[in-house]
Amino acid sequence: MEDNLSLLYQDVILEHNRAPLFYEKRPDAQCVIEAYNPLCGDKFKLYIDIDGENIAAATFHGYGCAVSKASTSVLMRNIQGRALKQLPSLMDGFLKMVENGTEDQPADPEMATFLMAHRFPSRKKCAALSWQALKDWMTDR
Amino acid sequence: MHTASLRHDFPLFRHRPELAYLDNASTTQKPTAVVDAERFFYEHLNANVHRGAYGLAEKATAACEAVREKTRAFLNAPSARQIIFTSGTTASINLVAQSFAAERVKEGDAILVTAMEHHANLIPWQQVCLKNKARLLVAPISHEGVLDMTAFEKILRSESGKVKAVAISHVSNVLGTVNPISDVLALARKYSAVVLVDAAQSIATHSLDVQALDADFLVFSGHKMFGPTGTGILYGKEKWLDSMSPTVFGGGMIRDVAYEKTTFASTPQKFEAGTPNMAGIVGLGAALDWIENIERENIERHVQTLLAHATARLQSVPGLRIIGQAPKKSGIISFLLGDIHPHDLATFLDQRSICVRAGHHCAQPLMDFLEIPGTVRASFSIYNSKEEIDRLVAAIEDAQVFFGRLAIK
Ligand SMILES: Cc1ncc(COP(=O)(O)O)c(C=O)c1O
Repeated sequence: MEDNLSLLYQDVILEHNRAPLFYEKRPDAQCVIEAYNPLCGDKFKLYIDIDGENIAAATFHGYGCAVSKASTSVLMRNIQGRALKQLPSLMDGFLKMVENGTEDQPADPEMATFLMAHRFPSRKKCAALSWQALKDWMTDR
Repeated sequence: MHTASLRHDFPLFRHRPELAYLDNASTTQKPTAVVDAERFFYEHLNANVHRGAYGLAEKATAACEAVREKTRAFLNAPSARQIIFTSGTTASINLVAQSFAAERVKEGDAILVTAMEHHANLIPWQQVCLKNKARLLVAPISHEGVLDMTAFEKILRSESGKVKAVAISHVSNVLGTVNPISDVLALARKYSAVVLVDAAQSIATHSLDVQALDADFLVFSGHKMFGPTGTGILYGKEKWLDSMSPTVFGGGMIRDVAYEKTTFASTPQKFEAGTPNMAGIVGLGAALDWIENIERENIERHVQTLLAHATARLQSVPGLRIIGQAPKKSGIISFLLGDIHPHDLATFLDQRSICVRAGHHCAQPLMDFLEIPGTVRASFSIYNSKEEIDRLVAAIEDAQVFFGRLAIK
């Protein structure tokens, strides 16, 4: 019964929730993106600095469940120093994986731990929250 | 109360016997009688209301009108004309906000709500205020979740006649607080404010006599009292209903129509444009019968027993904080467990077939006031048992171990 739960709440996710990476408020960042789920009230701010064509710094702060917090933490780790033009495919790959449960072998094994979110339809949104917000921001730019 | 045998009366539990359904503040399950009544309508009575000049349509109309009368008796309303069928509490409140408040609340006037309202009893008034340049005033509550009656009266007094309407829930869907509704109504009357009572959370457990209360408007949903979704009631004083103009137009609500103008039918028809949810209304009638048969006092007594048991058991869980500590509560208990997010806990409980609600429960301003992001909420009904609460508590204790496993290492 709880095996299912252990698939969602793997140690990796609980660890990121307990001690998220790049967890820092930086209201003076160049871009402050809000990742907000009005259904549950979870809300993170993503603080992004851009240097030319690359992300120079990315941190986040806010409130959310273990799944959304851990997925934001993993997102932050994955975009440090990244070229902006790589972001859309990174976001799409992750969002597709969470939505459909298909694993396109994400380069980062920690990203793959969120695959199991697709088995919990009401929790998919948690895993996708910040990734979707960053994707929308990229689209609107 | 033999809750085990009552449980058999609910088809959903026959199909899902494993469920501990503790989300009754969201919606209750439906007894066989209600499901059968809807089915019976479609199998034996289905025709449009108030339209056909044939026997079947007359019977269908009579079935719906019988529920109007039944609802009148349930609320002890003076007349069945004062019972309007809507799609639910939300629709009933919006009707009053649009047809009543929007017409009467002028620039500089005010509408008074409390700090514990559901969005459905907040946003409709807020929007009227924004449109009419009126003010939305909020009566404060304590951190225990008790309405501050002194502050409430002070607002009414200092506004001296500017507060045109008061909207208040009888029972808070988040905190479980039972508001002193008679006192609220008496105070409002003293200052000539018209009161809407949102009885969504009390209709199944509290006897509500609209004449004894002298309520101006009282609203509720069918689906929170064992009835079908998409059904609801608006009760109003005749003098208000007669003076209100409809805001939804169409068939079934007119007296005379020409291209230049339309004269409307009188209440209740003028507020019921279009084909109503007839099967639902008939199901609602069956729900009213079902409740009367069990008797509301018995439902309330059972729910209070469960509340006392749940409060005692949950209080003994280390790190668990009960949100809402009013002395008078209904069968609703909100809580937070350490730093475990409500949704994570709800997902854990779901794996053990325990259904609870997690989140802000459509009361964001209340969450802001309490400085919490949301809660886990367990809410009880007649078919719940102490064993289910014990299951809940055991699962909560296991969840603490499960989510805390890395911190312990
Ligand atoms: C106090 C209160 N008011 C209003 C509502 C809205 O009811 P409905 O969604 O049935 O219209 C609810 C439902 O959650 C409620 O608890």
